Amino acid sequence: MTRVERRDKEPEPNKEPTQSGGKISRREFLGMTGTGIAGLVIGGIVGREVFPKQAAPAAAPAAAPAAAPAAAGEGEAAAVSEPKAGYTLVFDPVQCTGCMKCAVACSEKYGAYFHPEETKNTVNLEFSRIRPMRFQYVDVINNCHYCELMEWAEGSNEFPCQAVCPEDAILTVPEGEGEAGYYGMGYKWIDQEKCLGIDKCWRCAEICEDQFASGISFDPISRKAQVCSRCGGDPECVKACPEPLALQWVPVGRNGRFYAQHPTAYAELLYRKMYNKRREL
Amino acid sequence: MADLFGMTGKIARVDLTSGTVTVIEPPEEVYRKFLGGSALGVYYLFKEGIVSPDVDPLGPDNMLQFLIGPITGAGPNARSVTVTKSAYNFISIATSGGQAAAELKFAGWDGIQIVGKASKPVYIAVIDDVVEIRDASHVWGKGVEEVELILKKEVLAETESREAMMRDADLTPEWAALRPVKRKGLGEKRLASVWSIGPGGENQVWYANVITEGARAHGRYGPGAIMGSKNLKAVVIRGTKGHKLADKAKFLELVNAIHASEKNDYFWRSYGTAGIGARSAYVEDAYPIRNWQWCAWADPQVKAIEGAFMDTASFVHKQACPNCLLKCLTTVEITSEDPLMDGTITDMPDWEAMGMVGGNLGYFEMPGKTPSDPFTGTHIDQAENLAKLQFTTALHDNYGLDFIDGGALLALLMELRQRELITPEDLDGIDLKWGDVHAVDEMLKKIVYRQGIGDVLARGTWETAKYFAEKKGNPEIMNYSMTAHRYGQPAHDVRSPADKNAMEYVTVRRPSEHTGGGGAGFKQGDWAAAIAGQNNKCATDSMVSCSFPGGHFAGKTVDLIKAATGWTDFTEEDLFNIGAREYALCRLFDIHTQGLTDPKEQWDKLVPHRWFYDPLPTGPQKGAVAYEGNPDKLFNEALPAYWKERGWTEDKGIPTLETLKALGIDDIAGEIAKQHL
Repeated sequence: MTRVERRDKEPEPNKEPTQSGGKISRREFLGMTGTGIAGLVIGGIVGREVFPKQAAPAAAPAAAPAAAPAAAGEGEAAAVSEPKAGYTLVFDPVQCTGCMKCAVACSEKYGAYFHPEETKNTVNLEFSRIRPMRFQYVDVINNCHYCELMEWAEGSNEFPCQAVCPEDAILTVPEGEGEAGYYGMGYKWIDQEKCLGIDKCWRCAEICEDQFASGISFDPISRKAQVCSRCGGDPECVKACPEPLALQWVPVGRNGRFYAQHPTAYAELLYRKMYNKRREL
Repeated sequence: MADLFGMTGKIARVDLTSGTVTVIEPPEEVYRKFLGGSALGVYYLFKEGIVSPDVDPLGPDNMLQFLIGPITGAGPNARSVTVTKSAYNFISIATSGGQAAAELKFAGWDGIQIVGKASKPVYIAVIDDVVEIRDASHVWGKGVEEVELILKKEVLAETESREAMMRDADLTPEWAALRPVKRKGLGEKRLASVWSIGPGGENQVWYANVITEGARAHGRYGPGAIMGSKNLKAVVIRGTKGHKLADKAKFLELVNAIHASEKNDYFWRSYGTAGIGARSAYVEDAYPIRNWQWCAWADPQVKAIEGAFMDTASFVHKQACPNCLLKCLTTVEITSEDPLMDGTITDMPDWEAMGMVGGNLGYFEMPGKTPSDPFTGTHIDQAENLAKLQFTTALHDNYGLDFIDGGALLALLMELRQRELITPEDLDGIDLKWGDVHAVDEMLKKIVYRQGIGDVLARGTWETAKYFAEKKGNPEIMNYSMTAHRYGQPAHDVRSPADKNAMEYVTVRRPSEHTGGGGAGFKQGDWAAAIAGQNNKCATDSMVSCSFPGGHFAGKTVDLIKAATGWTDFTEEDLFNIGAREYALCRLFDIHTQGLTDPKEQWDKLVPHRWFYDPLPTGPQKGAVAYEGNPDKLFNEALPAYWKERGWTEDKGIPTLETLKALGIDDIAGEIAKQHL
């Protein structure tokens, strides 16, 4: 099993934020708009230190050579995508066809990342953090929505899964930190050494299924928790998705808990909306 | 065994009589010869003696197989195939799309073979290596839509199901005070896939099918009836082991290249088979209208069968099979002023439904009009007509019935009534008039639950025609049975030279198969090309892949198999021979299990009378008949020449011992061939 360690190195100081690919970093954006933080409460970044982003490498992350399938042969220039902080994944369940391309891209990336030897010859969707679920006539994309608790009501501003983790294994990796090829950007990461694994503890998954959605799954080899880390701000699933607008990576400033639904609840709502039918799933 | 790639090397054999599961491990040599899917299934029908006439199709000795192939899983367009002996006593091979196929590979199996008969309704739950036979009394009698949603939640992977461990103390006090934990544990994931039968299969309607995802079917030749005869309601699968590939990087590269090509395939991605639409009627003159009395309306103003019209009127959501970008299935919600139909959820319809339970049942003409009259309705009338077609599709899907043979059957009855060869009293008082969806609804209930005359009709189109021909003492009735080899002809005609050649239906390995391939070869009389097309289709059904993206696979098929299996010496010829084996075995199967002594008279010539003797009345090919009206030439010149090209005898079409030996199947089929040569 590969050990995954945090890279608690200082970000390189010589990089001016404004030079990062002509994009405006989130911190600058906040500064310029002067709206403060309230308008952009995403991904649990609020209240945590955010570093300027490092220059993006020109190629895809070296740890995931097979992880950019959508770019192949489409006749489009393989654009270098910028890792982005403060973005979220939204999907359109009418446009999504349930073709599984997102899940293949995700599982290929993280299977190779954590278990390069074991997955050398295997495509296994169990490593995917994003899982389309087909409820017959509706398709639901199941993924972590980045719910945040509200301190004034719930006594904490952490992610619910993070709040109940007895080992502090669910991390929020600041921008510019984390593994090589992973930019943190304030997204989640599971500390593989601290996580107890499903044979001892499943509190994170249980609180998610109890009150929010079903965003946690478990690695079939290491048996540790898996959660969508948004690929550190540059998600493979979005790049792999062949359907226009089905899966988007957008700067929407909302607490993810308002997107979150249990997969069955999501499907029941879709039956209601798309077919005007009540189904109990 | 050396490590296998692509395939898993394991087939689960479930004996429902004894309640036991054994693991079959086919040698690599068998995979090399038959690959998987349909060809492998036919091999096992011979190896296990199912080919014997003594094996009753609906008895416990018959074997139902669900099989997949080396690219099923991570490959594009995953499909599964059922192989068994049909209730009609001929070969039954039926493929279906859907996620269940990939899931079976992920669970670590190349197939499931089911023998015996359970003493009470059961379903088979496959969770990786664990194959369980579980009680299904709570879902017996239910339609496929409901069954699937219930069973999905009963089969979870091991990491998806846990007792509750959370306590309120794990939350902050404020949080716990607001929302204490419900203590339900884990169980929200729904990743299992279901193959199930509806009431049609339970009551052993001969043309009952096996359905997944509400609308995808192992559609033809009645695998559902065999499943029902075994008291097996469903197979539910959840796999977590992934798909093992010899050269994963190469495999994914090929998959991505296929996807890049598919992404620009505007035809399939827009409307799926609904995009064939009116072309078949007004350009090809080969669309079934009123039991094939017409193949085009005199007025080319009927639009309800056009993809674009259907989209405007009813399409809701496109759904793809795993790793396919063609997304050819679209779900719909029916909007109609008729409360019987309004609000029903179903799919598209696809091309075959559009023909067989659409135009074929007279749904598209205004009341009192025939297809020879001008169309006088409005766009709303067109939409209401479309609703009737969609509703009839939904009924067939939910009962788990093949709408091809089912559509042929209903159209037969309607034509017999039109010609006053039978009366409503013969159908227990149901007056089956063209276009009457309420009468169809009543008739289907009788068939599915085998009430009254429904018990006869449940044996399909040809048997029904035979029953009425005998009952009425009128052999003319057989002329309206639109069946080739005793099974309903799908929505492609052979009279118009713009569509299929009659030889295609006569020679194909499954009765009345419209996807058999070889079309251009048959039209030109180039038997080698025709055979190559047919063999290619067998290879597709053995990989198991889909016909629709065939063009996107071009030149990549062998490479895909090589990358999956690691057989570096695998060639086009190996692929070709898989089909040659399957064709030889299917031919022997049909002859042997039916005990045919003169196959040409007893089997090959069983084609619709209408082909040769009822010229097309309207449309661009007006006046056309099949094979230029020359059945003698077809059966006495073309057919023997085709057989010769296959290495079969010219008198009966029996594969010779030399041919069987060259194909390496003389060990399983030689003795049987000798009995018939």
